Amino acid sequence: MSFMENMLMALSSLKAHKLRSILTMLGIIIGVGAVIIVVAIGQGGEAMLKSQITGPGNTIEMFYQPSDEEIRANPNIFQQAPFKQEDIRALEQLPEVKQVVASSTTLSAVRYQQDTADVSSTGINQAYLKLNQLKVEKGRNLSTADFLGGRRVALISNKLQEELFKGKNPIGKIITLANQPIEVIGVLEKPTGLLAFGSMEVYLPFQTWKIIYGSSDFTQVTIQADSAEQLQTAGKKAAKLLNRMHNTEKSYQVINMEEIAQGVGQVTQIMTLIIGSIAGISLFVGGIGVMNIMLVSVTERTREIGIRMALGATRGQVLTQFLIESMTLTLIGGILGIFLGWGTSEIVSFFAGWPSLVSWQVVLGGVLFSMVIGVVFGILPANKASKLDPIESLRYE
Amino acid sequence: MIRLESITKSFLVGKESIDILNNISLIIEEGEFVAIMGPSGSGKSTLMNIIGCLDKPTSGQYFLGGEDVSNYNDKELARVRNQSIGFVFQQFHLLPRLTAMKNVELPMIYAGISKSERQSRAEDALRKMGLEDRMDHLPNALSGGQKQRVAIARSIVNRPKLILADEPTGALDTKTSMAIMEQFRELNQEGVTVVVVTHEPEVAEYANRTILVRDGMIQVSAAAERGQRT
Ligand SMILES: Nc1ncnc2c1ncn2[C@@H]1O[C@H](COP(=O)(O)OP(=O)(O)O)[C@@H](O)[C@H]1O
Ligand SMILES: [Mg+2]
Repeated sequence: MSFMENMLMALSSLKAHKLRSILTMLGIIIGVGAVIIVVAIGQGGEAMLKSQITGPGNTIEMFYQPSDEEIRANPNIFQQAPFKQEDIRALEQLPEVKQVVASSTTLSAVRYQQDTADVSSTGINQAYLKLNQLKVEKGRNLSTADFLGGRRVALISNKLQEELFKGKNPIGKIITLANQPIEVIGVLEKPTGLLAFGSMEVYLPFQTWKIIYGSSDFTQVTIQADSAEQLQTAGKKAAKLLNRMHNTEKSYQVINMEEIAQGVGQVTQIMTLIIGSIAGISLFVGGIGVMNIMLVSVTERTREIGIRMALGATRGQVLTQFLIESMTLTLIGGILGIFLGWGTSEIVSFFAGWPSLVSWQVVLGGVLFSMVIGVVFGILPANKASKLDPIESLRYE
Repeated sequence: MIRLESITKSFLVGKESIDILNNISLIIEEGEFVAIMGPSGSGKSTLMNIIGCLDKPTSGQYFLGGEDVSNYNDKELARVRNQSIGFVFQQFHLLPRLTAMKNVELPMIYAGISKSERQSRAEDALRKMGLEDRMDHLPNALSGGQKQRVAIARSIVNRPKLILADEPTGALDTKTSMAIMEQFRELNQEGVTVVVVTHEPEVAEYANRTILVRDGMIQVSAAAERGQRT
């Protein structure tokens, strides 16, 4: 008897007890659904974390990690900004580098008329403005002329506007930073998001910042590559270049994204494993449900089994019939579970803003796994059916 | 066709072994129409089950069509039931969720016959039983006589040489019983060996030999032999 024939027979048996079949499948549906959800959200999260490390614009941050020798030679090394202007110029010459975002931040006091406040004052280059998309809510943004001419103009954060101007229009007003007058030309938008409290910030063109604070060095440098593939190369080359220029061994570094991605992968894999095994347990329980119902079904259909045997069904054929029946049950449950898991993870990711990823491997795995469950948990009932005595089965009421 | 040699069958009831069939020897030739009669509990069904390869004798030898089937294993017995024997039961034993057509197809499914061949053979068998307009009915929608006709159609689709019917008319009224027996007679005239267990003398009339079973033993009834053999 062919597999298809067995399958059709199984379907009609399952259809004979629709409600029972569906209730039995429920365990498998939920189990497979849960596995799909966990894996989809886990893989989606991993993909998201990886992309977050890389950043939206194929950027990578450079950092300075002085060696013990350097620290011994210069104990104040941490107070100094590690990047020089010629560093930036040299980095910009690298073929893989699209642009270099540089900024320098210092804590500073700001005064407007009688009021003062502590702010973080950041001098930025024009690339910084483009990449970080500082959005202006009031007034105007910094212009190319502001950068090139080193004009004494500034953008202030929304929070600073509230603290210092208390509702008055700050545009065109003169504030004092490090005893130097600066004109406020724009107010930045309030940061959005749950954890954004807003801080007291001032942004100046770097040329201006340099004059006010008397330092031409940058505290932060981020390089942008043309493509994500070039990013790692660009980063390595940039680090090598700076180490050569500063005569250091490996104090200038970039984050090794491959390592981090691996680490993130490991973390999410462990998470997926833990939650996945919980889902696996529910699947196991679902399988026991299938076994239970199949045992009931075998008992109920004792007479059917007797008839089939009288008509020439071998024990093997009876065994196969019930195995395929339980496998069909779990297979349908598994397929429904995949749709359930898929749909749910889409909904979850929609509301949680966390991507979900249902790969074809997961779908295929789900299908195969649910079939395996059917076979494993169908063995006992099918074996029971095949061991029945034909005469007693025919007499069974 | 059938040769039983000193067949005994005993069942374990608790710790006791009870002999139900006692040293039965019997020959049924090919083409015969045999009735087995006897009081209830005398062992008729037990004997039929052994002849039908549904059960194995405790001792003795059973030759079916020249083959010693007494030592066949389960799988071989299943093949014999499928290929060489057609069963008809008192309670019809149709699968309630399958149509008449599908019920008749069953033995052919286990014989590994292709779907189209199965359908045409099942149709022929049902038509022969006068059920051409009942093929797609479920057993529940059929009368007792029609159910038994479906069962007979099912018993002949694999073209066995032997048909075993254990009280096939036990659940039917007299008129229907006679019609069913006509079907068996027709099959017998086509060359099929028929063995029928019955209580009813009118049914046994159709056979050309009657075997009497009492307390698990065969009683040769001279009267019956004389009356029926022509
Ligand atoms: N599996 C069994 N175990 C014990 N006793 C049985 C079994 N099958 C049949 N018997 C007994 O064997 C006797 C004959 O049964 P059966 O062959 O069905 O008689 P009949 O068909 O002639 O009425 C009965 O007394 C019955 O109780
Ligand atoms: Mg009986």
